[in-house]
Amino acid sequence: MNTLTKTHAEPILSARGIVNRFGEQVVHDNLSLDIVRGEIIGIAGGSGSGKSVLLKTLVGLRQPDAGDVLLNGKPVQTLGAASKAALIGMLFQQGALFSSLSVAQNIMLPMREHTALPVEEQETIAAMKLALAGLPADSGIKFPSALSGGMVKRAAFARALALDPKILFLDEPTSDLDPIAASGIDALIRQLNQTLGITVVIVTHDLTTLFTVCSRIAVLVDTKLTVDTADKLMQSDHPWVHEFFHGPRAEGAMNARKPSHGN
Amino acid sequence: MTPDDSSPPGLDIAGLDGLDTPGALFLCGLRDKGVELAGIRAEHRALLDLICGLDLKPIPKVKSIPRWRQFVIQIGKGAHDARHEAIDLVTFIGRTASWTMNALMHPQCLRLAAISRHVAETGMHALPIIGVMAIMMAVVLGYQGVAQLRPYGGEEFTINLVAVSVLREMGVLITAIMVAGRSGSAFTAEIGVMQTREEVDALKVMGIEPMQVLVVPRIIALVITLPLLTFFADIMGLVGGAAISQFLLGVSPTQYLARLPQVVDGSDLFVGLFKAPIFAFFIAVVGCMHGLRVSGSAESVGRETTRAVVKSIFLVLALDAFFSILFEQLGI
Repeated sequence: MNTLTKTHAEPILSARGIVNRFGEQVVHDNLSLDIVRGEIIGIAGGSGSGKSVLLKTLVGLRQPDAGDVLLNGKPVQTLGAASKAALIGMLFQQGALFSSLSVAQNIMLPMREHTALPVEEQETIAAMKLALAGLPADSGIKFPSALSGGMVKRAAFARALALDPKILFLDEPTSDLDPIAASGIDALIRQLNQTLGITVVIVTHDLTTLFTVCSRIAVLVDTKLTVDTADKLMQSDHPWVHEFFHGPRAEGAMNARKPSHGN
Repeated sequence: MTPDDSSPPGLDIAGLDGLDTPGALFLCGLRDKGVELAGIRAEHRALLDLICGLDLKPIPKVKSIPRWRQFVIQIGKGAHDARHEAIDLVTFIGRTASWTMNALMHPQCLRLAAISRHVAETGMHALPIIGVMAIMMAVVLGYQGVAQLRPYGGEEFTINLVAVSVLREMGVLITAIMVAGRSGSAFTAEIGVMQTREEVDALKVMGIEPMQVLVVPRIIALVITLPLLTFFADIMGLVGGAAISQFLLGVSPTQYLARLPQVVDGSDLFVGLFKAPIFAFFIAVVGCMHGLRVSGSAESVGRETTRAVVKSIFLVLALDAFFSILFEQLGI
């Protein structure tokens, strides 16, 4: 189906024949997707095309009406809570930080639930995750309501990384952010992917993120998924895909693309 | 590694299969203590460099306040808040009264559609639950009355007890408490959600006064429905009294109906119904006030709703106690 899939080792996540429908309306019709270890894949599509539903299905939050999602070769629905938490990290669109806990407590929560580490150790690791996500140490005692939009995203990043997941799902990581904060998040995603080898799945509208960060792009249009590199998708003759990659906003985002990119 | 070895201690990590971030943090700690890391694999070097390069500071501790001081602080805060709440409530009552009067003087400002919708929601839909509760209340009173009055041979007076307490107190109280829990909280939640979605601000920007479109219709609707609901609860309470008289005293419903005019008169009904619109006003005012006090976050909707229900039930009971004393002094 795809050259990248063949050349790499077995996929970390593979979705087979996914069907999702709400009543009569079919959102996903027999989708298949292989996500290769260590890649950054972007999922793009128009508003209401079912990107978020697909993400929920991949993470196992939603049982698809048909089809399977295999994570590390096992059905995601049957994974135990602890092994799932060790494999998957997820960044929700609004952060989904627990408002009754401080940022540090938010990051420590998965460690407290799934590891036997002493509290001091957890705090040291939480401080490290905060620094990794680019937040100062004193933001650890703040509560989510006291954080700005960009800091919420970074704090949520730190929590998603708490257990060193193998695959990170990001739902609109750069939405609602100013361009500087958004570029910072893009750089963070690339850095985490390169140094920790985390596989990253990004659902986004942000063309800059798609062009500069993602190695492959999955375009969800008319209930079908087209997966390819940005360069190949640029040449697609599907009207929506063409409009998406050649509209006035796409041209600007293309310029942000580094010529060296293309791994 | 031995302490008196002159060469720096070293650690060979070439055999390391996998490295995660806490592991890298540990190795960086060793490196900071002067341990030479040897045989670092290429795939681990980037991670080690990243983690060692982080500017790590411990998360500062939250200063803890001793228990006794927290207690004192809470008392002070509570008093401060209570004062502000009282001022807010009085101010809001004044604003509401002014806007309601304004609407009544200029009927074209009245939102009849909104009022009728609120009448249906707060009144019609509450009928079943209030009817059942009034019957149950009469049954409870009847059983207690028979048990307490039987030793004195006065169990016949249970009819008086149930009828008078239902008409004067229980009918209106049960209805008001139910409506405070059902509709007062709904007012807070509805307006509160609008507040979180900036819908209230949108009204203001469009030059539409939220007091006029959100608060006044709810106040008028509740002032209309609560007396009607109270009257319904009174009737159902008397029906419950009839049932309990049949079962416990052997008084048939026709005899019960014949006795009713002797044991209660118009003033009993009036005392109950007089209180209903006043309770309704306060329940609606408190519900709307807390709805408009919601700030941004979703959790404040929940907090304000709880406060509105607690405060409106408290106000209803406090006013009822005041009216009991007042009517006693007036001899009604």
